[in-house]
Amino acid sequence: MDGDTVMRDFASMVDDRVDEGMFRIDRSIYTDEVVFDAEMDNIFESSWIFLCHENQIARHGDYFATEMGRQPVFISRQEDDSIGCFINACSHRGALLTPLKQGNAKVLTCRFHGWSYNCAGRCLQIKNQDTGFPEEGFDRTHFNLRPIAKLENYRGFIFGSLSEDVPTLAEHLGPAAKWIDLLADQSTKGLEVVPGSSTYVIRGNWKLQAENGVDGYHVSTVHRVFASTIVNRQAKEEHTGMKKTEAGRITGQVISRGYDLGGGHMSICAQHTTPEVRPIYERRDELRGRLPEADVDWILNRGRNLYLFPNMLLMDNPSTQIRLMKPVSAGMVEVTVYCVAPIGESKDARAARLRKFEDFYLTAGMATSDDVAALEDCHDGSFAYASKWNEFNRGLSEMIEGGDEDANTLGFEPATTSMDWDHETLFHGMYRQWRKLMTNGK
Amino acid sequence: MSTDADLQVEVTNLVYREAMLLDRRRWDDWIDLYTEDATYWVPAWASEEDTTDDPDTQLNLIYLRNRGGLEDRIFRIETRDSYASYPLDRTVHVVSNVLVENVDGDTIEATANCLVHSYGKKGSLTRGGMYDFTLTRINGDLKISRKKIVFIDDRLEGPIDVYHL
Repeated sequence: MDGDTVMRDFASMVDDRVDEGMFRIDRSIYTDEVVFDAEMDNIFESSWIFLCHENQIARHGDYFATEMGRQPVFISRQEDDSIGCFINACSHRGALLTPLKQGNAKVLTCRFHGWSYNCAGRCLQIKNQDTGFPEEGFDRTHFNLRPIAKLENYRGFIFGSLSEDVPTLAEHLGPAAKWIDLLADQSTKGLEVVPGSSTYVIRGNWKLQAENGVDGYHVSTVHRVFASTIVNRQAKEEHTGMKKTEAGRITGQVISRGYDLGGGHMSICAQHTTPEVRPIYERRDELRGRLPEADVDWILNRGRNLYLFPNMLLMDNPSTQIRLMKPVSAGMVEVTVYCVAPIGESKDARAARLRKFEDFYLTAGMATSDDVAALEDCHDGSFAYASKWNEFNRGLSEMIEGGDEDANTLGFEPATTSMDWDHETLFHGMYRQWRKLMTNGK
Repeated sequence: MSTDADLQVEVTNLVYREAMLLDRRRWDDWIDLYTEDATYWVPAWASEEDTTDDPDTQLNLIYLRNRGGLEDRIFRIETRDSYASYPLDRTVHVVSNVLVENVDGDTIEATANCLVHSYGKKGSLTRGGMYDFTLTRINGDLKISRKKIVFIDDRLEGPIDVYHL
């Protein structure tokens, strides 16, 4: 290591002694900027991360600008309909090449000195090339944009890695792939990202957001007020059909599960008390005609949250969303939420899906706003090094190695199962993967 | 004073009154400014230049189809059980540029701008927005039957609720 690098023992920050009944995390992993920089190096800039949905770059020339860790990239739809992902910096002096977050340009021309590139990253033109570079032996391909090391598409969800030294995407996703299938299978025409999104910053660490997305235990406290608001509303006016929002899952009186899916991925699910109010319910017969019974049961009857290590949450609960996380610093994460929906659903189902999304999933909504406030408090509390451990032992004595009967029937093999989403052993998987990557134990 | 000037004063007073009631947390009086079937709409940004413009097919930050949606927000605040709403941010709305754009019988279209300064545990923030009002005269009084707020911030810090807007 460099002489001026501050040393940290990352392995010791995950105290994994499950055999002795103890799994705990050093809270400084949320607050320490040295840890953050190492996470950028070892996780976000050297392993698979989620980039975007293919529907966001549907046509030739469409681009989607984002970051992989600290590094700007853009994903583009190329002339042959394939997808490319390139470092988003002009090969000349480094200006970002995309004027917008999302747009369409078959040729990207740098707005600084006018160099231009096609969607496949090829340097097409250098302004006044003749007057500055020798005619003999000049190789413009030297200035082609640098593609990222790995780029793969799983059922429309595009993932990339800046490092070559990673497993295949299928190996990376493992049993989490089945949870993506449960969303992707909802329409034979695929999924679409609905126009409009919301970006917000949480003044807290990215891992707190990651945990929160699959933390069943907080629902009956933090979202108790969402449930009571809905009950209050429904008592005042007649709500029927898809306009109704159910409160049963929130009060915790339903069957639930938590799964450590390996590879840092985790998921939770809970039974819907009123599946008929869900937008997907209108497609039940069509789903039953083409999918196995267990898949249809999970799609219609179970609200599901999936965390894909390290930067994405995929949720199918009152509504459906992609939540993309971009860590800014140890104390800040930028989150963008998109409503993702089956192509071809009815107008009523789409409108109901959007209203449920707005009620719950936004910082201007009535649930995510409370999550954000709670996470910001967790972040501030994590400076209490005098009491430095977060324990994740709840449910340990009842944890099942491998899958339960439901997992076996659906056909995925988790590392462990919790029979109650109030249990917290699924987080072991996330932090074991964190430790593995942080100690270069790929 | 001409009729136009009277209306200008009446509309401006209503817009100012709404800001005052929000900042002073007079929630019931605030709700009373709205008609039963009032829509309250904060579109999301669809791109750098355009907001979403069709609530049936596009995402919004808030889209409430009637006054009950506003009542939900107040219920939530008053329970003190909402993590984001207790303690509640203090706010000061500065509303200006009030223009009556169109009058059609008892229906009036007006626009205004707002700067909302808020203070909470993470410090202070100032955010800007543009208001589009539809006002309806009912039994002599002007009520808000539609409010659209284009919130110019596209990267929101911390939770946002109706009193921030």
